[in-house]
Amino acid sequence: MASVSELYDVTWEEMRDKLRKWRDENYRNSEQIVDVGEELLNEHASKLGDDIWIIYEQVMIAALDCSRDDLAVSCLQELKRQFPGSHRVKRLAGMRLEALERYEDATKLYDSILQDDPTNTAARKRKMAMLKAQGKSPEAIRDLNEYLEQFVGDQEAWHELSELYINEHDYAKAAFCLEELMMTNPHNHLYCEQYAEVKYTQGGLDNLELSRKYFAQALKLNNRNMRALFGFYMSASHIAASPKVSAKVKKDNVRYAAWAASQINRAYQSIIRKCDRL
Amino acid sequence: MAEPELLLDSNIRLWVVLPIVFITFLVGVIRHYVSILLQSDKKLTLEQVSDSQVLIRSRILRENGKYIPKQSFLMRKFYFNNQEDGFFKKTKRKVVPPSPMTDPSMLTDMMKGNVTNVLPMILIGGWINWTFSGFVTTKVPFPLTLRFKPMLQQGIELLSLDASWVSSASWYFLNVFGLRSMYSLILGQDNGADQSRIMQEQMSGAAMAMPADTNKAFKAEWEALELTDHQWALESVEEELMSKELDLDGMFSTELPTGIF
Repeated sequence: MASVSELYDVTWEEMRDKLRKWRDENYRNSEQIVDVGEELLNEHASKLGDDIWIIYEQVMIAALDCSRDDLAVSCLQELKRQFPGSHRVKRLAGMRLEALERYEDATKLYDSILQDDPTNTAARKRKMAMLKAQGKSPEAIRDLNEYLEQFVGDQEAWHELSELYINEHDYAKAAFCLEELMMTNPHNHLYCEQYAEVKYTQGGLDNLELSRKYFAQALKLNNRNMRALFGFYMSASHIAASPKVSAKVKKDNVRYAAWAASQINRAYQSIIRKCDRL
Repeated sequence: MAEPELLLDSNIRLWVVLPIVFITFLVGVIRHYVSILLQSDKKLTLEQVSDSQVLIRSRILRENGKYIPKQSFLMRKFYFNNQEDGFFKKTKRKVVPPSPMTDPSMLTDMMKGNVTNVLPMILIGGWINWTFSGFVTTKVPFPLTLRFKPMLQQGIELLSLDASWVSSASWYFLNVFGLRSMYSLILGQDNGADQSRIMQEQMSGAAMAMPADTNKAFKAEWEALELTDHQWALESVEEELMSKELDLDGMFSTELPTGIF
């Protein structure tokens, strides 16, 4: 098996920088991380300096994703040796137990972290992730609600809760969570679009109007959001087709839908032309 | 009054001015590292963390409430400000001002602060005064009144000497405050060698008590939230959107990502 550096003809510095880029941008390409990281740790460990510890953490989590328990255990041992008694390392040990589906042992470990430090959010989030992994959605939702009562500013948690509610088809509560996210990130077109989709799913004339408005907002924030463009078209045509609307509203929505359709055509024209040219 | 310019021995520059600068700087760096060693972990309680986040959420509601529908905004405002059981009305935190007597950790913190900052300054100031006494060190570039003479010319007993000529002790104190920006350049912001900042903190810290702040902060938030109105930013978003054609450049790219690198 050729090593990564041979296949791509890269130096160890480039591999290290690539790992840092993946770390900063929160990528979850675990197989690639394991390939690059394993080689970096085996061949060039001495040259990495203090970076090596965070790379151990990154590679360990990726190894758990790829079911590489051997690699995960070796990384964990190095970290335990360097940072004995650290909560962060304990959490990684808990994650390994979760990967082996030893959920009670993992829960005990996380509880011990929380006893020591009640404000440790990482351990609480792992417990909720375990509930979700075991399919216990109602308990996960309940725990997440309690967590959010205390840590109201945690956006990752709000997003997770909205996803859980959508899976349970509780769209009203999912919309509430997405509203929190929209307030804290007013320029993020994806939250606007997701909120609009939830409103569209809820149905009913008011919700359709709201969804149309938020699809439009998402488009304003990012002109290239195709999903929002289609959503705008669909909500506008839905309202126009509904029998209960006044004539003026109907006319407006027909206009909106026509505009959206023309934009969609324009977008795909460019790719059709490109394909014809190839 | 035209003062004849005093010509100082250049040895003074070499053996007094520069050594004092070095000494002050090195002492500052040592103080910074000592303060890091002696630092005690500030453990926040769950309640403090939670409260600070609630305040942030309320502030965000005030600032960005216009991006969510009117109904949702009113719902949240009601939750916070409702007369009977709104969060800001209902929650009263226990106010325990951390006086040094009752809170042992505060006492040790104060002691550590004193030891690392005030004590070295006094010691070294005195040592410099004793070592480098009896001669004029430097001249400050602006004229001073005679009232400054006993303060700035500690070891020099000349009645007719202009007050601008100062002794080594005052050069030392000048350095202590002047090297502040050097410290932030070399040690980064928020370093332990920044004495003037610490003295400022000590003076204002006495007037400030953290837990009482929470109740006052809640009251302030309540008032601010009462005043905010909901101006929906999305009133005419469709018209604004449709006023011009969409910018669809670069939507479909023909280049595919090839592997890791």
